[in-house]
Amino acid sequence: MINNKYDVVVIGSGVVGSSIAYHLSESKKNNILVVDKGFPMSGTSGSTQAWVWVHSKTPSWYGELSMYSAELYPFLERKIGDVEYKRTGGIAPFFNEADREGALRLAEKQAEVGIEVDVLNREEVLEKEPALSQRVAGATFCKLDGNVNPFRLVELYTKAAKKNGAVFSFYNQVVTITKKKDIFQIETDQDTFYSKKVILAGGPWSKDLGKMLGVDIPIKQVRGQILVTEPQSPFLKHTIGGIRQADNGEVLIGYSKEEVGYDKRSTLDIMQETAKMATEFIPSLAKANVVRCFSGIRVMPKDGFPIIGEVPEVRNAYIAAMHSGITLSPLVGTLMTELLEDGETSIDLTRFSMNRFDQMYSRISE
Amino acid sequence: METDLVIVGGGPAGLSAAITATSYGADVILIEESFSLGGQLRQQTQLHANLPSKFFAERGTSLVKRLTSQLETPNLKILRNHTMIGAYKNGHIGVTNGKTTFEIEAKKNIIASGAAENAWIFPGWTLPGVMTAGAAQILLNREFVYPGKQVMMIGSNSFALEVVKQLYECGISVQAIVEASETILSRDQALLSMCKKNNIPFFLNSTIESVSGSGHVEKMTIRTSEGMMEELEVDLICTANGFSPILEAFQIMSCDLTHSEVLGGWLPTYSVNFQTSNPSVYLAGNAAGITSLGSILLTGEIAALSALESLQFISERDSNRKKAALWEELYQIETFFNKDTMLARLELVKHYHSERGLPLPDFVDPLKGEMLFG
Repeated sequence: MINNKYDVVVIGSGVVGSSIAYHLSESKKNNILVVDKGFPMSGTSGSTQAWVWVHSKTPSWYGELSMYSAELYPFLERKIGDVEYKRTGGIAPFFNEADREGALRLAEKQAEVGIEVDVLNREEVLEKEPALSQRVAGATFCKLDGNVNPFRLVELYTKAAKKNGAVFSFYNQVVTITKKKDIFQIETDQDTFYSKKVILAGGPWSKDLGKMLGVDIPIKQVRGQILVTEPQSPFLKHTIGGIRQADNGEVLIGYSKEEVGYDKRSTLDIMQETAKMATEFIPSLAKANVVRCFSGIRVMPKDGFPIIGEVPEVRNAYIAAMHSGITLSPLVGTLMTELLEDGETSIDLTRFSMNRFDQMYSRISE
Repeated sequence: METDLVIVGGGPAGLSAAITATSYGADVILIEESFSLGGQLRQQTQLHANLPSKFFAERGTSLVKRLTSQLETPNLKILRNHTMIGAYKNGHIGVTNGKTTFEIEAKKNIIASGAAENAWIFPGWTLPGVMTAGAAQILLNREFVYPGKQVMMIGSNSFALEVVKQLYECGISVQAIVEASETILSRDQALLSMCKKNNIPFFLNSTIESVSGSGHVEKMTIRTSEGMMEELEVDLICTANGFSPILEAFQIMSCDLTHSEVLGGWLPTYSVNFQTSNPSVYLAGNAAGITSLGSILLTGEIAALSALESLQFISERDSNRKKAALWEELYQIETFFNKDTMLARLELVKHYHSERGLPLPDFVDPLKGEMLFG
């Protein structure tokens, strides 16, 4: 029987929720509960290519946030264990000489915040990654980029948080959240929980959680479909825009973004498009057999940038919603912990506050 | 590629549906993932009795020939070596032959994907020499290869005993049949007396403890009813753990599923017309619940008639008349095979109709009556 009174309830046990729970549990100051409608990895975190991707995140303040998070991964691994983080370097190829100017501008902008992006010519790209199409014109390259095993990552966040006393409850969907005086009452399928603070970390499902608090969270659901090939001998060294090779040799391929709500089906239209693009990037993939495909519903804030901070008008309710949860999870966990424990953060979160949307709307109405 | 009806699966249910649909003039594409039609009938050398009235008792292998000979019609296109691998946004299915993947624009789909044998898991189950009864039957009758010299059968349903009989007749020594429950599951008198006549021992109330051998099955240990360990030397272990419907194609088409132990586990929900929750998808054969060959053939015919009716190749009146007769025959044949199967099927169909507020057609009434009073 689990206790029903907590200092903090985190809703959502994906990469963002489990990272927040873990980082918050480190000080052992709070009683923490993480509650999830499903089982770990049944949602977005279990259906991703799991890049830790920095270099093309613009404007540069967003790139900067991603960089700080990527920098935290080696330290995180020392604390929670091997999450198969690999800093492979990232290549974003282009096939048109006309795109070089944009690439140079990206490199210049990112340099302002200390992100090193190289603009490679054709020979340099092919030397780095010989499997790429001979038609490639060039690429941007950043050695900070890489990838991680999302299954190990979420599992180890969860294990470490549990070790610090956090409680996890799976298959326990939140049905209503009401606030009475300063206490949140959270009704789930199975229990009633009371908490001083609540953190919405439901990814795309945070839209529904927001409604329970009477708040419209400005996010959309985006479906991404990913193809998996049969294991190939190791031939891709880098994380390439849209494609990466996993440790077991399988190649993961995915570019698509569709707004279809929570519909998690895969469609042959996208599968065939994805396969075609992959072979245009890497011609030798034409010989690889695709063994399966999967779809993930990802969250996309309306302006594309992370929402991190307090929920407007609802004191002690917080939200962490972002498209790049894998990349940002170490930093977001750290920042949310600072916010909850000290009331201030080492990185200014004003830009990431949900309030920015009110300003956006009011600008529109002017 | 355009057509009135696409049938996925060229086993007995798919063949039966194809024969019915083409006979009414519909354009049909039949997709079969292997090189040959017939599905599991291809290795069934045993005599199948109790088939629908238009058939007579026949071996599976020769029934395939009889069925495929009725398919030589210009309105049928057969795509052998093609697999359904997905669906497009517009709901049409996509198939591939491993080289190209293309869309089939069919007005209706019948999925007759059949069933798969359930594995049996015990220490040593991955050793070469452990296989399902169906796999042993394929080696013996289709590939003409001896699967082993000394066999142990795990499970005592009719299929297990049928395979024991075929192995025995080919000169393979049958060490014993192991059954976990306290009685032999099969009620087939001919098969039971075959076992008795040939002194094939049964270990009832017994379970498999482990299998061992270096690189291949050499020994197995069973735990007998008295809790004793019995060690036997065998080089082939066949497992007969029942069948389950193959569901991938239904999942791709977003058909609602339900669970019925009697019908083989998870399976699509469907109406009295064998229409699933996706209105463009009908189903037939073992995919609609594990049953006998006679029922498999009949469900193919009912599914085809229902699809033909919605495509207006046959009037509702004529279709209902025919379906009434087919359902009655299905009731007779399936009840003879296993009454519980029929009851579970009727339960599933009734539930589908009541959930959607659809009346059951009049022709089901006699069956309902018999269910209540029979």
